[in-house]
Amino acid sequence: MLSFRPHTRMSEPGRRERVDVADLAAAIERLAADLALAEEPSGFTVVLESDPDMREQRD
Amino acid sequence: MTDWTITTLGGAIAGRQVSPVEVTRECLERIARLDAKIRSFITVDAEGALATARELEAELAAGLSRGPFHGVPLAYKDLCHVRGLPTSCGTATPEYFSAEHECTAVNRLREAGAVTLGKLNMTELALGPFGDNAHHGDVQNPWCPGHVAGGSSSGSAAAVAAGFALGALGSDTGGSIRLPAACCGVVGLKPTYGRVSRAGVMPLSWSLDHLGPLTRTVADAALLLGIIAGHDPRDATSSRRGVPYYERLLDTPVEGLRVGLPANYFFDGLDAAVDAAVRAAARILEGLGAEIVSVRVPDPRPVVDVSNVIARAESAAVHARIARERPHELQPAVRARLEVGFHLTAHDYLQALRLRTRYARAFVAEVFAEVDALLAPVIPEPAPALDAVKAGTVDEVVMRMGRFSRLTRPFNGLGLPALSVPCGFSEDGRPLALQVVGRPFDEATVLRLGHAYERATDWITRRPALA
Repeated sequence: MLSFRPHTRMSEPGRRERVDVADLAAAIERLAADLALAEEPSGFTVVLESDPDMREQRD
Repeated sequence: MTDWTITTLGGAIAGRQVSPVEVTRECLERIARLDAKIRSFITVDAEGALATARELEAELAAGLSRGPFHGVPLAYKDLCHVRGLPTSCGTATPEYFSAEHECTAVNRLREAGAVTLGKLNMTELALGPFGDNAHHGDVQNPWCPGHVAGGSSSGSAAAVAAGFALGALGSDTGGSIRLPAACCGVVGLKPTYGRVSRAGVMPLSWSLDHLGPLTRTVADAALLLGIIAGHDPRDATSSRRGVPYYERLLDTPVEGLRVGLPANYFFDGLDAAVDAAVRAAARILEGLGAEIVSVRVPDPRPVVDVSNVIARAESAAVHARIARERPHELQPAVRARLEVGFHLTAHDYLQALRLRTRYARAFVAEVFAEVDALLAPVIPEPAPALDAVKAGTVDEVVMRMGRFSRLTRPFNGLGLPALSVPCGFSEDGRPLALQVVGRPFDEATVLRLGHAYERATDWITRRPALA
């Protein structure tokens, strides 16, 4: 039979933690409203690795 | 010791003007005499350092040199695993942080001939920008005792500023290299995400953690980066891009570079001395031929929100064991910041990771189509008093932490290279700093601008007056 460890939270959240969590969750909900389906986390390293140097284009 | 840099000391050792043993002894003597007040070290490995120095001296006598780091004493933040030494991650529980492998960056420096002096103090679990530590002592700012050294790589910056080590490694998840570098008047570089392997470094938030150098000069940071940068099979996020000889590119004139001063966010609500020093630095670069332009950057606040979600969720996952088993040993503000991560949802975390990609793409495309680099302040005010940052409720302390790191945090979320360079002092002698930010993997331009500024001024010739 499988057994699972009890949850790993330190304690039930206090007032300040609840406010912080709610603020952060609200920010994500607002910001993510128009995320396109194809946007996914691995795109981040692609952005960094594929940045074209714009200096020549600007010149 | 206080007059050497890695560049000059490496040259003097290669020229047999000074010996690795002599230099290592001098560092150890200085640490023994002065660090009881500064509290920059957690572990000093005098025996190991002298043994290494003797081996390196024997190599030199046999005509062998490993290069510019041969015999140069360095020290490492106490979240880098170093063979034979404990890792506390700034806590009272070093037994939680053992590792099979040595930190890749430390290992590369060891192979390059560096002498390991020991492990450096830091904010507990790297969670905080001030460098206070209830277990190992609050790191004191060498320029102004009683004031913060900045964090979380507090010991790294203080040890370099105090002349205990020629250079150090620190880690930066929201500003933890740049903030202490700025507070202590030394150079600190957060490289591009993926430029330097984090293998063998205790993580805080793997999506935002960066490892980088703290040194006395920009040239030393360039040299050190050249050793630690590059792909590492033990860190899947490390880039396969080639590593330039950064030090050889430093003297390329900055003439013609377009450098942006942000018109929004970065100069809002600054201390007047910080504002004036950064704008004066821009004028100096202009005098050297750079074109300074005002730019409106994409609002960094969303990327800060997104980074906060990622940092909280990942740090709670990394440190679940200590939080569960020994929460009473964690400082209240550290515990409070960890606690939030346990209550965020997987949905919020994953959306934050997706959003980060979007903001990075937009920022890079918009900003670097206009300019080659950005100039900004690092700290919103000179190093505050330790008593002041620790006063009040946990809520107040945590709020203060967020405000102090508001100028560095965006570039962790964006993954861009960012350099902190000393740019003056407040009227009462606290260091001020300039932040140079570049396009991804363009550390060369960031270092070049920092080096040009540094050479046009005399800030780095000043030393804190230690008893």
